[in-house]
Amino acid sequence: MQEADYILFETYLSGALDAKAQGEFEARLESDEVFKNAFETYKQATAFLENTYGNEAETEAFKKNLNAISEKHFTREIKTTKRIKPWHYSIAAAVVLLFGFFIAQQFSTPSYDDFASYDTISLSVRSQQPELISKAETAFNEKDFKAANGYFKQLLETNPDNLEFQLYQAVSMVELDFFYEADALFGKLLGTPSVYKNKAAWYLALSKLKQEDYRACVEVLKTIPEDAEDYKQAQKLLKKLD
Amino acid sequence: MSQKKIHEDQKYIDGLVQNNPFIIQAIYSQFVPKVVNYIKQNSGDAERAQDIVQEVIITIYNQAKEKGLQLTCPFDAYFFLLCKRKWLNELKKTSKKEVTINETVLSNTDDVEELVLETSLFEQQHKLFSEMFEKLGQACKELLKTTFKIKSMEEVAESLGVTYAYVRKKKSLCIGKLTEMIQASPLYNNLKS
Repeated sequence: MQEADYILFETYLSGALDAKAQGEFEARLESDEVFKNAFETYKQATAFLENTYGNEAETEAFKKNLNAISEKHFTREIKTTKRIKPWHYSIAAAVVLLFGFFIAQQFSTPSYDDFASYDTISLSVRSQQPELISKAETAFNEKDFKAANGYFKQLLETNPDNLEFQLYQAVSMVELDFFYEADALFGKLLGTPSVYKNKAAWYLALSKLKQEDYRACVEVLKTIPEDAEDYKQAQKLLKKLD
Repeated sequence: MSQKKIHEDQKYIDGLVQNNPFIIQAIYSQFVPKVVNYIKQNSGDAERAQDIVQEVIITIYNQAKEKGLQLTCPFDAYFFLLCKRKWLNELKKTSKKEVTINETVLSNTDDVEELVLETSLFEQQHKLFSEMFEKLGQACKELLKTTFKIKSMEEVAESLGVTYAYVRKKKSLCIGKLTEMIQASPLYNNLKS
């Protein structure tokens, strides 16, 4: 291929060719096998570079997340698969028998109400619709979730990307048993690099708890990192469910 | 590309692309234990299983990002077969002694085999592209890294202290050079056929 061909590839991919030149380019792709192969490889190389360097920060964030979850999973895996000697089973059985009563009591299934305590909120965005924001805040703090849900819905109509509104609307919806919509909102928040991510994970776990979907609840709880505000609570709940 | 129906487990692929910790956690809880078991039964241990799993997930992520991977079979079968093949390749490479493989009987459909093959080819291609990129001249590497990182060519020109036209031309020539190196590699032609 000539240098001019590569320049032509780039111009074609950037969409800067006029209709006539574009037609000629596409006709050549049809008729010239060598040209077509080179163009295909050029396109693949571009996609590779785009993903490797264009999305470098995203990929790094992904790897970091993956690594943390993997470490957590495998630390437990290694711990739980440590060899147990046969006589340990009988000791364990004796212990279980002895403390059976107390253990049984410990295993009572935790409920949503044991864990769901929402702090008083104070919404940070005040530049727009201050009245509506204050109404949403009051309704939420007074546990009038039906009203709060309505106000957050209105606020999100004009600020669809506001993560704080999304978070508290989702919480209100859990309280109202609108689980499907609430979980979808939490899911969206989990994908953001925001400060609300860990909160969303904790509230999503509570939503699953309320739905009595304990398996999903455990899975969400495991994603809550140690530096999260709700980590302790999450671990406590995890212990009760495990 | 064939017009196959996308499997409902596509949610796992989409979740990886979105870096959704809930989905990543679900993959570890639901699908990873089976892989770990297999590797342990076949001359491996949990630590090596951890690496295999992580490498496979990163490949799936890259393929989804670069090529819009669409799942046409259950994630479980696809993921397990990818990890298994990777582990067996690893064993072949590193083990000098005879290895007994405890084969679990699994009937894989054509869809699974096809998709696993596609992902393995993608992985090898990706590796080849990285190696070839490293062999480019320093100036080309720098320019390409910068043009893909900073999306606006004007800004790139400014940051490098050259003209816009120069950056544009240089970018295509550098990708052209990379294209030639890739095409000249015998491995690339094998991967294509």
